[in-house]
Amino acid sequence: MLSLQEVAVGASARVRDVAGSDPTSLRLLEMGLTPGVKVRVVGTAPLGDPLELELRGYRLSIRRNEASRVAVTQ
Amino acid sequence: MNTHSADGTLSPRDPLIVALLGNPNTGKSTLFSALAGIATRVGNYPGVTVEEKIGQFTHHNQVIKLIDLPGTYSLFPKSPDETVAVNVLRGQMPGVPLPDCVIVVADATNLERNLYLASQVLEIGLPTVIALTLCDLADEKGIVIDTALLAQRLGCPVVRVIAPTHEGIAALCDNVIAAPATLHPSPITLDRDFTAANTGHSLPAREAMARYAWIERQLSGVITKTPPASRSFDERIDAVLTHRGWGTLIFIATMLLVFTSIFWLATPLMDLISSGMDGLATGVESLLPPGAIRSLIVNGVLAGIGGVVVFLPQIAMLFFFVAILEGCGYLSRAAFLMDRLLYGVGLSGKSFIPLLSSFACAIPGIMAARTIENRRDRLLTILVAPLMSCSARLPVYLLLCGAFVPNVAVGVPWLRLPALVLAAMYAVGVVVAALVALVLTQTVFRGPPQPFVMELPGWRWPRASVVWERVREASWSFLQNAGTLIVAVSIVVWALASYPYSQQLIEAEVDADRQKLVWRLSQYPPTDPDRVEIVDQLASLETADGLEAARRGAAQRQSFLGRAGRFIEPVVKPLGWDWRIGCAAIASFPAREVVLGTLGVIYNLGEIDPGEEDGSTALVRRLRAATWDGTNRKVYTLPVALSIMIFFALCAQCASTLVVIAQETNSWVWPVVAFTYMTLLAWLGAFATYQIGSAFDL
Repeated sequence: MLSLQEVAVGASARVRDVAGSDPTSLRLLEMGLTPGVKVRVVGTAPLGDPLELELRGYRLSIRRNEASRVAVTQ
Repeated sequence: MNTHSADGTLSPRDPLIVALLGNPNTGKSTLFSALAGIATRVGNYPGVTVEEKIGQFTHHNQVIKLIDLPGTYSLFPKSPDETVAVNVLRGQMPGVPLPDCVIVVADATNLERNLYLASQVLEIGLPTVIALTLCDLADEKGIVIDTALLAQRLGCPVVRVIAPTHEGIAALCDNVIAAPATLHPSPITLDRDFTAANTGHSLPAREAMARYAWIERQLSGVITKTPPASRSFDERIDAVLTHRGWGTLIFIATMLLVFTSIFWLATPLMDLISSGMDGLATGVESLLPPGAIRSLIVNGVLAGIGGVVVFLPQIAMLFFFVAILEGCGYLSRAAFLMDRLLYGVGLSGKSFIPLLSSFACAIPGIMAARTIENRRDRLLTILVAPLMSCSARLPVYLLLCGAFVPNVAVGVPWLRLPALVLAAMYAVGVVVAALVALVLTQTVFRGPPQPFVMELPGWRWPRASVVWERVREASWSFLQNAGTLIVAVSIVVWALASYPYSQQLIEAEVDADRQKLVWRLSQYPPTDPDRVEIVDQLASLETADGLEAARRGAAQRQSFLGRAGRFIEPVVKPLGWDWRIGCAAIASFPAREVVLGTLGVIYNLGEIDPGEEDGSTALVRRLRAATWDGTNRKVYTLPVALSIMIFFALCAQCASTLVVIAQETNSWVWPVVAFTYMTLLAWLGAFATYQIGSAFDL
């Protein structure tokens, strides 16, 4: 199963599920990373972490650690 | 809650309670200022460290009390901020009446995500008005929103506002006043089956899906996006700023600009303030006869006020840059770029600018931590910020490195040992801060990992009025809260350094000093180079100035402060210090930069200015010649100089910093924690340095 942190820079993916129901997962869902939404990985910070994402018409930054909870299909 | 008359309308004299709620970075605080001006009350909600900000204004004879709720993305109570917001909106917050109306602030450029919070507010069922902010930016981006259609679908008024120019503010107020009587909110309907587990997703995931599905339905046909034909100027800026190479270069250049501004550009202004205060002091001195009152006004009150005002240039400059960076959306970008570096020790990218600023001065640095929304990260940043070596420590390092560290090359000819030791002092602060942060995250701040989920706003032009408001608010809050306390501390320390005062005892001590010098002279062989310094000191006692300085020194040594220095000698002796150094360390509490001046007074030089060549050389000569009482053993050796530097690198001997920590955390617990742990570390560090240095016979 592919996670969001494995998606190449510049590529897009569709969210399948966000694992867990702790505050971090809830925050990801609230920020719009819901199953079915299309996400583009815009880039990463110079040190490789965090990621810059584009979804629902805005830019969001999350750490790789958090991105690994997000299962996607390409 | 307002009392309703029989026909259901509000009696016009009751103040209307209105809650202001919105996502972070949506211009909510700008809207608050546009509506209510300056907050009439800023404090904490009982029992939690969530800021309670209340403003009041009148619109068409209706008094409106505006409660600014913390910026949140959701009402699901995961954090103290969210819990407070929910409790206020449900009328369950003690001391806060149930709001008559809620204004939900929604960013017009990012409506889809912003309506998530709105959907939760609409479910509560309070009369709600949606304020669409950043509409000017949406216009530039070609985003057109059919506000009438949206209002019809949501069942609540939707008002376009451009807060900095007050556009739409009157319309917003009209709607807010009308809302309690005219709106009969009915709960919104999410997809009915989201609670049924038939999709394989968790319940929170299904709820979020249902909400976003609802939002998509509301917005269909409401938003039309006509992207500009060519790439807009903003997009090109964005492309450069986020470019891997250029973006990093621009980031470094920006941070250098911010840092050099508060480190160097603020200096002339600070000097101007200092000389202005000196001029005022001279004026007072010429008006009043010498005595306790004059001393209190000049050395207590005026020195204290000067010590407060002197921080204003740095605070104003830092907040000027922070407001510009925040206004153009670059503050989040900077946090994004630096996050990896700070993540490892339990901090986040948002701590970078506050910590960087602390190298100039911890006070603006700690205040800049206001930009960190996460409470734990903010507190952690505030607690370690004073470990960054500020500009007030630099003169101490420079003097001691120059005087006691041998000027030899290390490896290559251009790398001198004093420079290396100086750099090491800065490194010590950074390394210890990282370790402290790491230990605190594992112990006191232990808990679930803090998510770093941050919106990266696009490029926008900062608003002059918003920048000005931020600078004004930061400067004013510092003067008002911290300022008064710092002046009070200055007066207390003045009293401790001035009393008890006995002319007789002072003369006796000056005589004793003279005899001690004569005795020491007799102990040295005639060829000893130190004789010159002792002869000099004896000669200076014969001059009026020298005698006056010796009397001042004696007075300070006999004061409560001097006695405290002697009292703590057993504590500082393991650091290689005599009581005079202990005394200087205590006396530097009102402001670290006075430590050299205090050493000058203690060593009978009077109030020297260590920045001046003469003052500094004179002090170095005195320090080099200083011996342990009653012996010929030198006090200042290399291990002692290193131990003093390490102590100052790690200690929290700065009353202003502690007062600002109290102001920013709204509690006296945290300054006590900071002082305790830093003093402990400083003592241990100095102890280890001195003991190891002495063992190696440096």
